[in-house]
Amino acid sequence: MQCLEFHRLAGADPQHLPEQARVHAEGCPQCAEHLRRLRAFDERIRAALLVPVPAERGPRAATPVIGLDRRRWMALAASIVAGVLVGTLLWVGSPRDSLARDLVEHVAHEPQALASPVPADADTVAQVLERGGIRLRPDFETVSYANSCEFRGRTVPHLVVQTDRGPVTVMVLRNEKLTAVTHFDEQGYSGSIVPAGPGSIAIIGAAGTDLAQVTSRVLEAVTWL
Amino acid sequence: MNAPFAGKDGESAFASLCDALRPDMFRFAFWLARDRNVAEDVVQEALLRAWRSRESLADAAAAKPWLITIIRREHARLFERKRHETVPLDDLVADHSPELATADDADRETLDLRRAILALDADYREPLVMQVLVGLSTQEIAEQLGLTQAAVLSRLFRARHKLRAALGVPADGEAD
Repeated sequence: MQCLEFHRLAGADPQHLPEQARVHAEGCPQCAEHLRRLRAFDERIRAALLVPVPAERGPRAATPVIGLDRRRWMALAASIVAGVLVGTLLWVGSPRDSLARDLVEHVAHEPQALASPVPADADTVAQVLERGGIRLRPDFETVSYANSCEFRGRTVPHLVVQTDRGPVTVMVLRNEKLTAVTHFDEQGYSGSIVPAGPGSIAIIGAAGTDLAQVTSRVLEAVTWL
Repeated sequence: MNAPFAGKDGESAFASLCDALRPDMFRFAFWLARDRNVAEDVVQEALLRAWRSRESLADAAAAKPWLITIIRREHARLFERKRHETVPLDDLVADHSPELATADDADRETLDLRRAILALDADYREPLVMQVLVGLSTQEIAEQLGLTQAAVLSRLFRARHKLRAALGVPADGEAD
């Protein structure tokens, strides 16, 4: 491959180069440096695209509310927001609030789980998934840690997944049923607990990590058995 | 036919999926419409339509491109309905400056880049946002836009080139 062709390919899709282009970059320092700059610029583009997202119009944005015009919808949204606020206050005072805290404490007590980026032993991963009653799509991200952990009196799958946002912890909580997505920021971690299957799935990353895409990929990848 | 979003369990799973995808749906709609209010309306309408036809989604893995298709259609429908008046580009970008500046991460560099992206022609902006923000492959972008993959790659190359030029970033390489 010529440098010109490499620049054309890398300039269009610097994150997904064909094999030929990757080989070329390994043997051409100038093109490797060019690729590094392109990828750095792409990071800037991605950061710029992450404009602030307005608050949800309700706890279930997908729930059908048919025939409302914008003004009526805003009034309804305001009442829902008020309801959510009251609900949140009640939630904070209830035993449920300890779920996020318990998750963070569990993750914090297993720092070694986040240490290694290399793929975990495939047999171990398979055993953890089987024990947890779930299956993961074969093309899911690299699982670098898998363990069947005791959590709130149950044995649950505790996975660490290597993503483009860094390592992310996934805990499959078959017995923790939620009615809405819960987000939390505690002790240096950001996380979401998402209703899924018979229970929920917790996705936890370092503070400030944008977990939206990871969460959607996890939800798409998990099959409950 | 496999219908992962049928029945009560399906409703819950679909709602969770939409909750998770909503931030990127809004952002995609914003960069498409270049207007936060329009983006909110588009996403709300798209979610309603998606909810009604959720059982037709046979593969959960295809949810993202499926929702993007619905958003694009809703945007086109809304655009047609409102028949937006033509707004000079400078006014449009200037109108967005305050809201773009309120973002926590909106340092000078990010703000300049957002202005440059807003100023890109839709032919270049849309595939770029699909690729970098939404994570669609060039094949998926080609299907969305009704283009060949070669045409998509060409637009993506030019989009990045235009952004670098707008920001004064050196274009190091003979292909630039």
